[in-house]
Amino acid sequence: MARAVAVVGVGQTHHGRRMDVSYPDLVREAVVRVFEDTGLSPKDVDGVVSGTMPSMMEGVALTHLYFAEAMQAVGKPILKTETCGSTGVSIAHTAFYWVASGMAEVVLAVGHEKMYEGDSQATMTTVLDPFYQRYFLAGAPGVFSMQSQLWATRYKIPQDKIRDAAAFISVTHHQSAFDNPYAHIKMKVTMEDVKNSRIIVYPIRLLDVCPNSDGACAVIFASEKVAKRLGRKVAWVKGVGYRGDEQFFGDSDKVVWQSAIEAAKQAYDQAGIKDPLKELDVAEVYNPFTYQEMIFYECFGFCEFGKAPDLVLRGIFSREGELPVCPSGGVLCTNPIGATGLIRVAEAAMQVTGRAGEHQVPGAKLALAHAMGGIDQFNGVMILGSEL
Amino acid sequence: MPRKVAIVSVAQIGGADSKENFYDQAYRVVKEALDKAGISREKVGCVVTAASDIFHGGISCANAYHWDPAGAVLRNGSRQDAESLFALVYGAMRIMSGHYDTALVVGLCKGSENPENDTCTLMFSDPFYFRPLGLNETMAAALQMRLFMDHYGITREQCAKVAVKNLRNALGNPYAHRKGIYSAEEILASRPVVEPLTELECAPKSEGMAALVLASEEMARKLTDRPVWIEGFGTSLDAYWIGDRDLLQGQLTNAAKRAYEMAGITAPWEQIHLAEITEPYAFQELLWYEQLGFCGPGQGGKLIDQGVTEKGGLLPVNPSGGTLAWNPYVSRGLHRAIEAFLQIREEAGERQVHREVKTALVHGTHGFAGQCHTVVILGS
Repeated sequence: MARAVAVVGVGQTHHGRRMDVSYPDLVREAVVRVFEDTGLSPKDVDGVVSGTMPSMMEGVALTHLYFAEAMQAVGKPILKTETCGSTGVSIAHTAFYWVASGMAEVVLAVGHEKMYEGDSQATMTTVLDPFYQRYFLAGAPGVFSMQSQLWATRYKIPQDKIRDAAAFISVTHHQSAFDNPYAHIKMKVTMEDVKNSRIIVYPIRLLDVCPNSDGACAVIFASEKVAKRLGRKVAWVKGVGYRGDEQFFGDSDKVVWQSAIEAAKQAYDQAGIKDPLKELDVAEVYNPFTYQEMIFYECFGFCEFGKAPDLVLRGIFSREGELPVCPSGGVLCTNPIGATGLIRVAEAAMQVTGRAGEHQVPGAKLALAHAMGGIDQFNGVMILGSEL
Repeated sequence: MPRKVAIVSVAQIGGADSKENFYDQAYRVVKEALDKAGISREKVGCVVTAASDIFHGGISCANAYHWDPAGAVLRNGSRQDAESLFALVYGAMRIMSGHYDTALVVGLCKGSENPENDTCTLMFSDPFYFRPLGLNETMAAALQMRLFMDHYGITREQCAKVAVKNLRNALGNPYAHRKGIYSAEEILASRPVVEPLTELECAPKSEGMAALVLASEEMARKLTDRPVWIEGFGTSLDAYWIGDRDLLQGQLTNAAKRAYEMAGITAPWEQIHLAEITEPYAFQELLWYEQLGFCGPGQGGKLIDQGVTEKGGLLPVNPSGGTLAWNPYVSRGLHRAIEAFLQIREEAGERQVHREVKTALVHGTHGFAGQCHTVVILGS
């Protein structure tokens, strides 16, 4: 019987264009907040997991070295987990296995990004191999455009229906971000605004795309013993799953997307989830692009393949719907990449412990957190629940 | 009581350069390790890789590029940055958690396609204070060496003797990149790099791919007759600013203490029979002796003078030739673990030490003047 592990507290920075702080100070802001949230102190921490995006985006290599003090990690055992965009969830997985192994009672997980000091799309281009793909798969939007077109074509979904559903998602998330004190982009948008915004890569328009953000997130994972001693509501880790596809974009199907399907399945099996749409109360899906969010709904078993736009337009995934997705406003409104996956975990934990404030889904007991990374290559999932 | 974890098979390649491309090299070691363990990649519980994004290979998100040859496609997995022994520790903890019975650990570093070591280590420096100074690992090490000599009266000859020993040991290592019979005078007469360090006292830039299959006790006994147990491990991170640190009393002591406690080691000098330690700069091997508890503070020079860390000595250190002979920056920690595995199983060929090895220490480090350390104890 594996040891139970809980998320006992979270800390986030106010995400956005943070020219008021240096990169280490940004990290420090999140770390200070997780200690305030839990009442724990750095001396209680048995291990620290650090992670972010690659050096080219950071401007500094091996950032755990530079942020040793900011993470309160001096003299602590350390691991450095990086899996591209899925880093945030992979950090959470590392902290989970560390506590589950019995080698630590309390592990601090920290993810961060200061994207206004870097060039994210130039970095994304260097994720591709230098010989074949780099010349034509530049940056993220082109890849996501191809993926969404492939999906639409395969299931013969009318372009205007997809366009409406994607715009609906954008409006919903931008509205939700007003209820999240930490969210970056807070602007009122209408369906018409989205549909008339500037084309990035057809069919993706500006308001279908996440921003660059500065931000950090810190989450403390603890054993059952510590969780119970704290005497507060905690979020229990019910399931974890992770999968990666082949490096070459054309080698795997990105619509019936095995890494997303199998990562979710592994986590569902551990959590005993059979009908995710009914059993999950909230999902923090990694959604840098509106179109892609719908592909995730299908791969995660929220609905049949090709049907997501219908359900979206019926409001199934809206705040008052059957399965609210990203009540935080999601990645679409806040994307400090190295922190983004960990923010999904933090938001899921806030929901199942009733601490999500204005964007609380009433009575949420079971939540999914997800992150995607690489050029549509990696998917990681964590399921959190209010009950052990 | 956490579950016991063993290493059941290993494979590695190395050298200075190779005509083989990254994918072929990585695939070859991964396949070899799996075949030796008699397990297919579909049966492996999870995969933990180690590779670096420090502009190594010109690719960001190294895991994206190496996922296929690492045997990780559609397997649960993760990647550690910077230090490949992190991947060994993480793989072991995944098995200890009870969620997996096996883990494939892979370290990848194609040095011949990387910039110079210090072009990369310069990027460890913060953009405001250290980088304008051009601070890199070799400069930080030179400062540390000067302090070490001044504080304890360690001589340059004693530091050079580490290179003499390790480059001679490397003659038996087919993967070693730099090897030969040198005198201390010849080491000191090699090209000055950063005063007082000379070229042969600084590790070269090499290639290295390493793969290890880890298993729970029950699974290990099915896969091999001679498992090598991971008896203890510890990591520790020091402060970033080198002026804030005592460069002679670093976090290696802490990392070792954690590993020793886990492995039940109270007298390292008596209980450890062999050590494979990461010494990118010759003098650091002496300093690490002290912080590992092999001798008292300032006594590292005497240890090398007495010859006890020679291949035929009481406590052989780096019979493989160590990092001075072969330095694939990221995977080097795992190559130390593989050497210890081979020595414990008496499969080290020409490099096999004379004494019986029941317990071996493995060490990895990265960062300015040893900012971060990992210690792993392996045993029969």
